[in-house]
Amino acid sequence: MKNTDKISITAALTAATCTLLGTTALQPVQAQEEPGWDFNTSLLYYAESDDRVQDLSLKTLSRRTFVDDRILSLGLTVDALTGATPNGALPQSFPQTFTKPSGKNTFTTPPGEFPIDDSFRDTRVAISADWEQPLGRLYAMNVGVSASAEYDYLHLGVNAKLSRDFNNRNTTLSGGFAFASDQLDPVGGVPDPLTQMRNVRDDDDGNGGRASNDSKEILDLVLGITQVMSRNFLMQFNYSYSDSSGYLNDPYKILTSVDPITGEAVPVPQIPGTEGPSHLNYYENRPDTRSKHSLYTQGKYYMNGKVLDASYRYMTDDWEIDSHTIDMRLRWPIGDDKYLEPHLRFYTQTAAEFYQISLVDDGQPLPEYASADYRLADFDAITAGLKFGWKTGGGNDMSVRLELYSQSGNVSPSQLIGSQADQDVYPDMDAIIFQYSYMFGK
Amino acid sequence: MIISRFVAVLLALGILSGCSSMGVEPWERDVLAKEEMQLTTDAIEAATDDHIYFSKEASSGGRGFGGGGCGCN
Amino acid sequence: MRQLGLLSAVLLLSWQASVADNATFNITDHEGKVVVLDFWASWCVPCRRSFPWLNEMHAKYGDDGLVIIGVNLDQEQSEAEAFLQEFPAQFQIHYDESKALATQYEVVAMPSSYVLGPDGEVLKRHYGFKVKKQEEYEAAIVAALEKLK
Repeated sequence: MKNTDKISITAALTAATCTLLGTTALQPVQAQEEPGWDFNTSLLYYAESDDRVQDLSLKTLSRRTFVDDRILSLGLTVDALTGATPNGALPQSFPQTFTKPSGKNTFTTPPGEFPIDDSFRDTRVAISADWEQPLGRLYAMNVGVSASAEYDYLHLGVNAKLSRDFNNRNTTLSGGFAFASDQLDPVGGVPDPLTQMRNVRDDDDGNGGRASNDSKEILDLVLGITQVMSRNFLMQFNYSYSDSSGYLNDPYKILTSVDPITGEAVPVPQIPGTEGPSHLNYYENRPDTRSKHSLYTQGKYYMNGKVLDASYRYMTDDWEIDSHTIDMRLRWPIGDDKYLEPHLRFYTQTAAEFYQISLVDDGQPLPEYASADYRLADFDAITAGLKFGWKTGGGNDMSVRLELYSQSGNVSPSQLIGSQADQDVYPDMDAIIFQYSYMFGK
Repeated sequence: MIISRFVAVLLALGILSGCSSMGVEPWERDVLAKEEMQLTTDAIEAATDDHIYFSKEASSGGRGFGGGGCGCN
Repeated sequence: MRQLGLLSAVLLLSWQASVADNATFNITDHEGKVVVLDFWASWCVPCRRSFPWLNEMHAKYGDDGLVIIGVNLDQEQSEAEAFLQEFPAQFQIHYDESKALATQYEVVAMPSSYVLGPDGEVLKRHYGFKVKKQEEYEAAIVAALEKLK
């Protein structure tokens, strides 16, 4: 029996907008690594249908274990992103023209297609550093920092955790927090919420009166209990609270304003000699605070060499979004050094209170908050995947996994006006996830 | 909202006290010590998934802490 | 409180000595020596770390009356044997299959080490193995060996 307890517990591999605590795992108090370096590297390819987002990502996590279970983890992620995402406007039976975020020119969406925002995301770099160590025999702590940068977004964060074992180490109680301060520098500046999309500007006055950036702060708190249920069964229960405040809008997202009878986009007359949007659109607006509660439970069950990992998460927030996530993996060993791991995930969420597919051009004042961002809608998603892992001749771990992610919206018919009932109003999405990973070192 | 939070904390405390009777002896942790029995087996895969789902959905995180394992030292 | 614990350990010990454990560990075999009972298992990494140190202690003080007994608590003896192929022990190994010894000594962590004096009483115990505490562990052995003089 090979005795390498090479547990890849991570430091914060935090993305610009990730909840820090959601991506980290504290090493157990009784950590078990031999002094030395070990590395976890991976190459990820992510691609969505309909020429939407594509991402090629290289991730590395380097860990230096010092004497007596003290560990320094350094993470580096580099992403090359291309493609675009739906900008919130609805498809129409005629072409639509929009001003690009830069304000320098326009783009036109063919009839029947979801307008996608012309995003020029190119490279994103994220780094993290994390230190963990036992404190005495029964306590362990972890502190970390994270940062990421892309052309229009900067993230800085700190996090810390403490855990203590009880009941002969059968029970572990943990608590932690993460604080993030993010800044957005949108192309074209920060649009005034619920104002119309502007025409192309050829003057060189920068953002034309808009603020060039805005920021938000996120505080996350987690309380958890891990409990050994039996020799083959481990469970975890976490409660998380997250508080965001500041600029929570997506500066590139708009809503189409439609005719109250036909439900079609309202044309905007274009002054000769100017270029701009062909139809009426407004920039979205969301509240400037958001607070979320999550309850999460996970179980790992060993059955004669196979391991079942199942988890459930319930999330509710003050934007009236509720979600349920069920995630299941079964590790199926093949011989001594290979395994197959099928994976199934079900996700469902309800819409934010202010989610609507379009605004109505009926002379009434606009609502205080409105967004057509598909990520705030009522939708279901399913992921199905398979991972295959093996040990190399040198005793290192390699794996590949292929997953399919599929999202489909549930827009309530009461939201549909006129011809919208005959149209596709939610940009369903399918994506492929392919990841190759290599772990080596001590 | 407050009630569900309260229930969650009660649940946690209840589990903690009820847990004193559950568990295994220190020498019965051979299975729990295995790499594949840790709560997070592949840190990068977990972080990748968290990031993807955070970017495409309205929920995030939830998972995360230590415990389990060999119970050594 | 501790005295009570030690007393009950001694009493249990003497009782145990007369009830044969199937792998026959008998503390009276080592009367007049200092015994280090080290409870370990193949899946326990700090145990692996402690082996070189235990071998060192065996080499250093074996002639002075120190007996080290590595009490194995694996579920399958074959796993312990495989471990010993990779990390050989110069000291004695005892397989506590029924876990009676572990229960008797109230092992609460892996590894656990007990320094027993010449009449079998528990003089010192440490839970876990920390490289930084090696000197402390050695000092406990030396102090116990003083009792033999």
